[in-house]
Amino acid sequence: MNPITPFRVRIKFAKLENLRFIGHLDLQRLFERALNRTGLPLRYTQGFSPKGRINIASALPLGFVSSAEVLDFWLNAPVDLQEIQASLQAALPKDLQILDIQEIPNKAPSLQASVLSSEYAIVFPVIYAQDDINTELRNILAQEIIPVERRGKIVDIKPMITTHAFYEEGVSTILHLQMDSSATSNGRPDELLKLLGIDPADVIIERTNLIFEE
Amino acid sequence: MTLIDKKLLNKILYHVEKPGRYVGGEHNMVLKDWHSVDTRVALAFPDIYDLGQANLGLSILYELINDRPDLLAERVFSPWHDMETAMREKNIPLFSLESKTPINDFNILGITLPYESIYTNVLNLLDLSGIPIRSTQRNTNHPLVIAGGQACFNPEPMADFIDAFAIGDGEELIFEIIHAYQEWESQNSEKKTLLKKLAEISGVYVPSLYEVEYFDDGRIKRVFPVTDDVPNIILKRISPALPPPIKKQIVPNIQVVHDRIAVEIMRGCTRGCRFCHAGIVNRPVRQRNPEDILEAIELGVKATGYEELSLLSLSSSDHTQILDITKAVYEQNKSRRLSVSLPSLRIESFSVDLMDELKDLRPGGGFTIAPEAATDRMRAVINKPLDDEILFETVETIFSHGWLNLKMYYMIGLPGERMEDVEAILDTTRKVQKIGRRLHGNRIRVHVSIGTFIPKPHTPFQWANSEDPESVQKKIDFLREGMRQSKIKLSYNRPDSTLLEAWLSRGDRRLGQVIEQAWQNGAKFDAWDERFQKDFWYKAFDETGIKPDFYINRLRDLDEVFPWDHISTGVSKDFLLEEYEMSQRGETRYDCRKGCHVCGILDCFSDIRPNQNNTYWGCP
Repeated sequence: MNPITPFRVRIKFAKLENLRFIGHLDLQRLFERALNRTGLPLRYTQGFSPKGRINIASALPLGFVSSAEVLDFWLNAPVDLQEIQASLQAALPKDLQILDIQEIPNKAPSLQASVLSSEYAIVFPVIYAQDDINTELRNILAQEIIPVERRGKIVDIKPMITTHAFYEEGVSTILHLQMDSSATSNGRPDELLKLLGIDPADVIIERTNLIFEE
Repeated sequence: MTLIDKKLLNKILYHVEKPGRYVGGEHNMVLKDWHSVDTRVALAFPDIYDLGQANLGLSILYELINDRPDLLAERVFSPWHDMETAMREKNIPLFSLESKTPINDFNILGITLPYESIYTNVLNLLDLSGIPIRSTQRNTNHPLVIAGGQACFNPEPMADFIDAFAIGDGEELIFEIIHAYQEWESQNSEKKTLLKKLAEISGVYVPSLYEVEYFDDGRIKRVFPVTDDVPNIILKRISPALPPPIKKQIVPNIQVVHDRIAVEIMRGCTRGCRFCHAGIVNRPVRQRNPEDILEAIELGVKATGYEELSLLSLSSSDHTQILDITKAVYEQNKSRRLSVSLPSLRIESFSVDLMDELKDLRPGGGFTIAPEAATDRMRAVINKPLDDEILFETVETIFSHGWLNLKMYYMIGLPGERMEDVEAILDTTRKVQKIGRRLHGNRIRVHVSIGTFIPKPHTPFQWANSEDPESVQKKIDFLREGMRQSKIKLSYNRPDSTLLEAWLSRGDRRLGQVIEQAWQNGAKFDAWDERFQKDFWYKAFDETGIKPDFYINRLRDLDEVFPWDHISTGVSKDFLLEEYEMSQRGETRYDCRKGCHVCGILDCFSDIRPNQNNTYWGCP
């Protein structure tokens, strides 16, 4: 059906400002249309309603910004990477910025299967005192389990939290968190914020890194 | 100019449903430096982004205005309930998607009025912008509020709220309005001067310069201008040729309705179906050449990356080169993944030929036909003749060429309709289902969609009355039971929700009070079946002392002055009356391409008719 050897490309991109309010499925469609606009030979899935072959590593919750999203797509022919980056960037809204591009062997495991965890930087405005948040967070983490409700079910998020640390940057307080991002265990920093009594809308949550299986 | 507090906005966006509706930032959005232009226009579709973004008229104006270096246009839509609540709570005024500028800071606010059930949303949109809803309450500190669109052919119910209406095609009119605004602005004079200036433009209606006199029984005696220098009759404007297709259609970041490339291939229709508002008000028929259509598609695909294309017209089969077009569109797109839809096909085998050409481009698609009525008698009444033999033959061809899903549109509540006409809808669709099953067994699906007829202004049925909702409901119940037994899918509107359209479409100026009161009572998003609450409206009628039945139940006198008589579509009232009388005698009239019936269009517009070699008009 599709005899040509596919050319697999991986990009790392930032999702900023307005685009933080665009969800995962919409983002997938947006990239497909952007790739269509470039005229690059995007590879399509087989079947009844073919879709552009695009694979986003990990869904970023609505409202988060990111400087570390990763996406694979497949072309039907090799194209110079710099050329791909230039034409795709030109076809994207300005709040999506390509940070890095590389060719990936076709046999490399899928992104979703190999993503392990995410690092987040949560920027608190001045009104929040670092000591208070710190103490509160320590108390929560000291619990045996940290229960949150997800779609009517109680889930323990304690094992999903790998590390946490506070930094001061200028006048802001920044909380660095590392949490699971795999298919079976997915931590959400906004859930932790709610436990701290903080409205996630009051802070900026940025994904700063995605960590994959080696 | 004051920008919206971004932090506060982000905070509320975090909590609302589909925040992507309110952020803009799409591919092909135009964001200009606010201070680099002379005049700023906000273009509003008074319903949510998801419904309004693909509106063709607004998209055309957006591009035309932004193509001019001295102007800018930005978009605004109605916020959904959750967003409205948050905005009111935090005192955030309605803002544009592009620069997030409050709407009140624009020079001109242009609102599209595609249908009547959007009227309360217009009031809400003004209110959310901090702009007084009534034209008389606004001054030079507020934007000039203009409206255009298909519902403006009867502007009267909205006369209190809109400063000026643009009647007809807006592509040229908009620049004349902006020009008049700029001249007035440089003179530093009062708003009244601007309104008078606007009224001088052909195709612009300024309702405050007209008065209405009534008879004691509530009918209109006359509508007249209050000053000499404005016209008695406002003749709509037309673009002699279709405007160039959109070069850079905005590609929404979230899913919206009609999320695809739209290429208008023809404007207007010569068929003369007597219920059809669009068919009258959009005359004359103007076609786009096949070469221009193909070029528009090529540009569209490259500029948007869309995987779907719709060729728009009121009656695709009637484009004189439609077969050539479908063949060429197939050739052009066979190697890429573009599915093409061709709406509004005539019921004849030729339509199946057309769809066959495009079939490979749209695997799995269905076929849609619109018989509208099921007996020869009703077909004569509405002037949409169709032999059952041809209907069944066409259906046979559709199924035998491999389409398994067939959608059929019918109308009920038509003038002179009897129960046997409704029963015939059920009979016919059962026969259609049988034909399909004979060929493909249970794999075929027949889907019937029932619309309730509403008499529309400027149509031959403008004198008719609407059937009361209870009796329409009985007909729906009958069809529902019958279709259920035969496992035919049926969809229909609640008869209640068509009431509003019936009141407003032939309403007069007095309904302005009712609209305002209904909005005060809580009415908005009336176009949404599940949101429409008739009680808000009945209460408003009650509170204003206006009788709703006056607008619905009454058969109009043949010599009655209508609230919209001073707005001319170019089609004469005499012609419409002749049509109405023919309808009552069960007489049909052939397609006017085969011979002019002197509807009045050529009398009004023959002097701007382009050379037939360049732009085809449907008129003989």
